[in-house]
Amino acid sequence: MKHKEMMYMTPLPVRIWHWLNAFGIVTLCITGIQIRFPDYINIFGAYKAAIRLHNTAGVVVSISYMLWLVYYLIVARSLIKLYVPTVKDLTSGIFRQAYFYFLAYFVGQPNPHHSTPESKFNPMQKAAYLVIMFILLPLVIASGVLLMYVAPLRELLMLLGGIKILVGTHFLLACCFTAFLFVHIYLATLGHTPLAHFKPMWNGWEEETVEDDAPEKTTEITKPEIGISSTEKQG
Amino acid sequence: MHLHTRSISICLAIFIAFTGTALAAGPENEKCMACHGSAEIKSSSIRRVYIDPARFASTTHAIVGCTSCHDRVSSGHPGDSYIPPKATCGECHGPVHDEYAKSVHAPKARCNDCHNPHDARLPASMSGEDINRTCARCHDTRKTIQSHAKWLPQADLHIDSLLCITCHTGSKDYVIIMSIESRLPGSGTEFKTAGYEELAGLTRGEDIRRLIDLNGDNIVSLAELRAFNHQLRGKNMRLWGMMTPEIVTHSYQILNNRWDCSFCHASGPKAMQKSFISFPEKNGGFTRLSVEKGAILDILYGTPDFYMLGTTRSTALNIIGALIVAAGLSFPVAHGFFRFLTRKNRKESNHEA
Ligand code: HEC
Ligand code: HEC
Ligand code: HEC
Ligand code: HEC
Ligand code: HEC
Ligand code: HEC
Ligand code: HEM
Repeated sequence: MKHKEMMYMTPLPVRIWHWLNAFGIVTLCITGIQIRFPDYINIFGAYKAAIRLHNTAGVVVSISYMLWLVYYLIVARSLIKLYVPTVKDLTSGIFRQAYFYFLAYFVGQPNPHHSTPESKFNPMQKAAYLVIMFILLPLVIASGVLLMYVAPLRELLMLLGGIKILVGTHFLLACCFTAFLFVHIYLATLGHTPLAHFKPMWNGWEEETVEDDAPEKTTEITKPEIGISSTEKQG
Repeated sequence: MHLHTRSISICLAIFIAFTGTALAAGPENEKCMACHGSAEIKSSSIRRVYIDPARFASTTHAIVGCTSCHDRVSSGHPGDSYIPPKATCGECHGPVHDEYAKSVHAPKARCNDCHNPHDARLPASMSGEDINRTCARCHDTRKTIQSHAKWLPQADLHIDSLLCITCHTGSKDYVIIMSIESRLPGSGTEFKTAGYEELAGLTRGEDIRRLIDLNGDNIVSLAELRAFNHQLRGKNMRLWGMMTPEIVTHSYQILNNRWDCSFCHASGPKAMQKSFISFPEKNGGFTRLSVEKGAILDILYGTPDFYMLGTTRSTALNIIGALIVAAGLSFPVAHGFFRFLTRKNRKESNHEA
């Protein structure tokens, strides 16, 4: 027998951050294309409109990044636990997960990772999100801020090797985000139904089918009728 | 007609001067300069009549000669009260005069408000900083930045890297002029165009163009530019690029297409092929040296501090970027393809992945 259980996977601040961030980054990518290739691409009419929109989206992404950081670091205090891969993740987990994505998945074997609020991400997700959230996003935000205030921050720019290096870095980072987006959105459809991973990003709750007689190793599954989030419990 | 005969005789004088048959204006100028170029006048209360001899001598107006513009200097000069007449610019510069008279700026400033007739130079013999200083005599730079910031993003950056006349006159083609700027160590953040003496100090008397044009072929290659930029690191010096009209007009106006950023920013990399380096000369002028075509577009070292959004992008980086994006895109495509082919496996095993 099987029954359905609900897990509160994604607390509200994380969802707010995520969708602000997602719309922000998509806007940045599209406006960014027009800003770099204005002679070929004109989506927003005036060039100035694209610049203004790009700057605004950049500010939104920066602020929402702060929200994410403050929430996970200070409020939930689960940043390290959720995002930093363990030694085991790195020595075996990642390979197991990669084996799953590239082979096991196709022959119909189950996902070796089981998401719970305490261990949301599989080792590959951890590694990818860690790089994105701790390296690429801060870098793209920092280079963006410098590019928004070129004249006042000229000294800093020169220390970093000049505006060309900065623009080049910013552009390549943007390309990485675009590449990440394709992979990220696609992988998010690999749940038990294509929308299964999107639902918790929208309302917080993940629905899960479990065997009645096979209790989960992880204990802190929150039932919907109890209605408290696991992060509150951790607090 | 008077105007014409005057221009023709002047042209003739210049022709003669240049061919060296006779230095028509030379001796005349020296007579006047004996007083007007002297140190006593410079330090006296009538300093306004002082003319810098070296600077004047290096301009075309020196060939024209003092007396072409100030004819009828009385023999009692300066003791008598007769004030020598002063030619008007339009007498010799008819076309410029006519063009300027039609512009919106004609009622606001006379030729002499922007030009010193005793230090008049071609735009090619001036630094961008000098040319903008012309306007700054009346248009305070800070206020100009403020008024332009209302519609121009990063107005401070624009005013730093553009000549006012790039936007306010109607030239069709533009070039990038780079000048060597320096500042005293610990003098804050203001860079100034380096003077002749300063650069001559670096070459120990050799032609200062050799600072960049290492092989002396009168064209700066990308490799030479790179080497120079490398040398500048940590020296409180920089190469500063400014977008400059190729031909200066006097059709002062507020051009509607300068509101539209894409006039400059969507002109594509082809528009940014021509650039020059401007070297100071002893007498206050400048000379330009051509830079290899397309140097402005080099990713790293050509002009590390000059980047024009949308226009000076590097093709090499575009290709790397496209590869990154393509790599990202290929994963869903390939994985999705096999996912589709093997969809039965996942149904049969009834295991949700
Ligand atoms: C002996 C010295 C001397 C010589 C030579 C001389 N000047 Fe002057 N000039 C003066 C002085 C002094 C004044 C200032 C008179 C005053 O304003 O009191 C003056 C004034 C002038 C003025 C300005 C008048 C005004 O007030 O606007 C002109 C123009 C001028 N000189 C042209 C010439 C020219 C051209 C020559 C050569 C042909 C020449 N001068 C030769 C001493 C000289
Ligand atoms: C191309 C024409 C031209 C030539 C050449 C020229 N001047 Fe002048 N000069 C003028 C004009 C025009 C003015 C009036 C400037 C003004 O009103 O601001 C003037 C003004 C002056 C004044 C008065 C400066 C003042 O601010 O009151 C002196 C003195 C003078 N010239 C001397 C000379 C001498 C000496 C020479 C030769 C070495 C000479 N000029 C060559 C056009 C010329
Ligand atoms: C007597 C004739 C004459 C007068 C008056 C005259 N110029 Fe010139 N000017 C010339 C000639 C000749 C040239 C060199 C050829 C050319 O550019 O047309 C020249 C060149 C110039 C140049 C370019 C510098 C260069 O090296 O070619 C400027 C700028 C200039 N004049 C400004 C003025 C201004 C401003 C006035 C009025 C104060 C003025 N001129 C009055 C004859 C004159
Ligand atoms: C509002 C300022 C302004 C006024 C007014 C002005 N000019 Fe100019 N002019 C410039 C600037 C800036 C340049 C480019 C730098 C330079 O050569 O001085 C220039 C360049 C020139 C040149 C050289 C152009 C070339 O490329 O050969 C001449 C000649 C000249 N001006 C003559 C005149 C004459 C004559 C008048 C008056 C009818 C006049 N200017 C009025 C600002 C002005
Ligand atoms: C002798 C003083 C003077 C100089 C030098 C001068 N201007 Fe002006 N300019 C004025 C005045 C006065 C006005 C009208 C007030 C205003 O709009 O600020 C004006 C107005 C303008 C305008 C606006 C015209 C309009 O229709 O509203 C422009 C553009 C302009 N100047 C450009 C320049 C440029 C570019 C230079 C340098 C090459 C320059 N000016 C040099 C005095 C000057
Ligand atoms: C990027 C192009 C650009 C550059 C560079 C530029 N301007 Fe303008 N400027 C404009 C445009 C467009 C307007 C009309 C804006 C308006 O009417 O609000 C204008 C307006 C003006 C005006 C009249 C309105 C006002 O704001 O006072 C003046 C004066 C002026 N500019 C002077 C200058 C001077 C001086 C410089 C050089 C320091 C300069 N501009 C550089 C594009 C430019
Ligand atoms: C570049 C911008 C984006 C970044 C940096 C990003 C990053 C992340 C991160 C870090 C998580 C884990 C969130 C958590 O802490 O619970 C996540 C989850 C998720 N994101 Fe994004 N995201 C981006 C854009 C998008 C977009 C555009 C979509 C879909 C349209 C999307 C869909 C999802 C989904 C469905 C999940 C949950 C599944 C999972 O955990 O993998 N994301 N994203």
